[in-house]
Amino acid sequence: MRFPALIFKNMLRRKTRSAFTVLGISIGIATIIALGAVMSGMTANMEGMLKSGKADLVVAEKGVADMVYSRINDSRIGEIEVLEGVRKAAGVVFSICPVENNPFFLVWGVKNEDLPMVGMDIVNGSAFSQEDELIIGKTASKELDKKVGDKLILSGKEFRITGIFETGVPFQDKGVALPLKKLQEIMKHEGYVMMIYVELEEGADIEGVCQLIEERHPDLVTIKSASELGKVDKGLEIMDAASWAVSLLAILIGGIGVTNTMMMSIYERTREIGVLRALGWRRNRILSMILGESVLLCLFSVPIGLLLGVFGVKLLMLHPMIKGFLEPMYTLDVFAKAFIVAFAVGIIGGFYPAYRACKLPPSEALRYE
Amino acid sequence: MKNVITTRNLVKTFEEGRVKALNGVNLEVFEGGFIAIMGPSGSGKSTLLNMIGGLDRPTSGEVVVDGVDLCKVKNLDDFRAKKVGFVFQLHNLIPVLTACENVQIPMFELKLSGKERCKRAEKLLKLVGLEHRKDFVPTKLSGGERQRVAIARALANEPKIILADEPTGTLDSVSGDQIVHILQRLNKDGRPIVLVTHDEEIAEHANIIYHMKDGKILESNP
Repeated sequence: MRFPALIFKNMLRRKTRSAFTVLGISIGIATIIALGAVMSGMTANMEGMLKSGKADLVVAEKGVADMVYSRINDSRIGEIEVLEGVRKAAGVVFSICPVENNPFFLVWGVKNEDLPMVGMDIVNGSAFSQEDELIIGKTASKELDKKVGDKLILSGKEFRITGIFETGVPFQDKGVALPLKKLQEIMKHEGYVMMIYVELEEGADIEGVCQLIEERHPDLVTIKSASELGKVDKGLEIMDAASWAVSLLAILIGGIGVTNTMMMSIYERTREIGVLRALGWRRNRILSMILGESVLLCLFSVPIGLLLGVFGVKLLMLHPMIKGFLEPMYTLDVFAKAFIVAFAVGIIGGFYPAYRACKLPPSEALRYE
Repeated sequence: MKNVITTRNLVKTFEEGRVKALNGVNLEVFEGGFIAIMGPSGSGKSTLLNMIGGLDRPTSGEVVVDGVDLCKVKNLDDFRAKKVGFVFQLHNLIPVLTACENVQIPMFELKLSGKERCKRAEKLLKLVGLEHRKDFVPTKLSGGERQRVAIARALANEPKIILADEPTGTLDSVSGDQIVHILQRLNKDGRPIVLVTHDEEIAEHANIIYHMKDGKILESNP
C-alpha cells in the first residue's frame, strides 16, 4: 500500500459526509466555471467585434464608462482617413432595440460600403440600399425564422430584409445591420458615431498610427485588442471583478465546509492519530495525511463542479433574453482556474485541522475518548 | 546482562504539579526481560509506559532505552518509529484498511518500497497466525484477531522493545491467552517486553511483576 492510497481510503470512511462536502465545494467550482465561461465568451465576443473584417483597430471616445456612451462627430472619420498609414475608416453605431418579440436585439448601423470593413459578409441576398432595408445575421435569421424578402419590425418600424450576413462572431451574427443614417435617426444620434473602424495600409506601423490618432485627437482613444477595452468599457472589468467576488464567496463557503468536515474527522480520529504518533509517525506525515484528504475532497469536486457549471450555463442560455447575448466559452483558462482554486481551498481549508492534528501530543491523543 | 530500559527517580506531574502521576520511579529491564506492571487505575502504569516509549517526557528524572537518554533526544518520533513497538488495549486499526495494510502503517517512516512493505507485513501476519486473514478489514476479524494484527503492526519496524498497555483488557480469556503466548514467543526471540495489566493470570506469564501505587513501584515478585 502506498501513502496516497491510505489518503484515498481515509476519505471514503464517511462516504455521506464526504459526498456532501464535495457537493458543497462543487457548487463553488460550478460558479467559477459558469461565470468564467460567460466572461470568456463576452471577452471573445468583444475581441471578435473589434477584430472583425478588415479593421486593424477601433477608435472610440476617451474616458467613457462604456462603449455605448461613446460619441464621435462624423467629421472625424474623414480626418482619420487622411492620416498617414490609414487606408480606410468607417463609422458605426450600435444599439439594443426591440425586434418583434425579443426586447434585446443587437442592431448595427453601418454604411453600405463599409460592410466588408466591419466583417459583415453577405452570404445570401444583397446589402441594403434603401433606408427601410436591413440585413440580418445568420443566427438571427434562423432564430427568428426570417429569410431574404421578409419583413422585420424594429423599434416599431418595418424593414425589408435584403440579405443575410455572417461575421463569425456569435454576438454579431445574432443581430441585424441597417443603414448608418437610419439607426442614427432612430437613436437620435444624428451626426455622431460610436466607434470608428480603421484599416491600415499594408506595412503600416500600428503603434505609430495609434499614437498619431491620439495626438491629433486627444479626446479619442485607440483600441487594438480586447485587453485594451478597459480604456472605454469598464463593464467587462466590473463584471470580471463581480464574477471573482461571487466565486470567492462560493469558495469561502466551500472552504468553511472543508474545514468543518476535516475538524470533525480529526475529533473522531483523535485516538487513532495518537496511535499513529506512537507508532512513530512524524508530525509532517500526519499533516500530509490530513491535508491530502482535504485536497482530495476538493479535487473530487472539480469534475462535479464542471458538470454542474456547464449544466447551469445551459439552463441560463434557455432564457430568451440571455440567449442572444451570451455565448459561453469553456477555455482551458477557466478549467485551470477551477482546478487551482479547488487545490487552494483544499490546502487552506485543511490547514487548520491538519495543524491541530499534528500538534496533538501523542499521550493526550491516546487518552482521548 | 545488559540493561535495555532504565528509569532513575522518574517524576511526572500534571496540572502544574498538583497531580503527581509518577513519584520517583526506578526501574530496570534487562535484555530478554519480560516484566509486568500491575496496579489500580491511576497508579501511574500507563504514564510510566508512555515515558519509556517516548510518548511523553518526564518532569524530572532519567529514562534510558537501548542506550538512548530520552530526555536528551529532541525529536522522539524517530525513536518511537525504530525502537519501540506499542500494543494498546484498543487496537485502533484503521477500519478501511485490510489487516495487511494496517500492519504496513508504521513502515511509512522507513525507506521501503510498497512491495517490501507488503512482504514484511505478510511475514508478520504469519508470525501471529493470521496470514489467511490478511485481506480482511478489521470489522471482519474477531477481537482477538484484531489484537494480533495490532501486535504484528507493533513489530512492523523491528523494534527493540515491546510495550503493551492492557493488550488483553477487552478480550475473552481464550483470545487473551493467545495474545500472551505471542508476547512470550516474541520475548523468547530476545525482545524485552513491558506489559501493563490488571489481570494477575496474565501478569504471571512475566518474569518479574511490579506493583505500582500512587506513582511509585511498591515491590517486585521475581
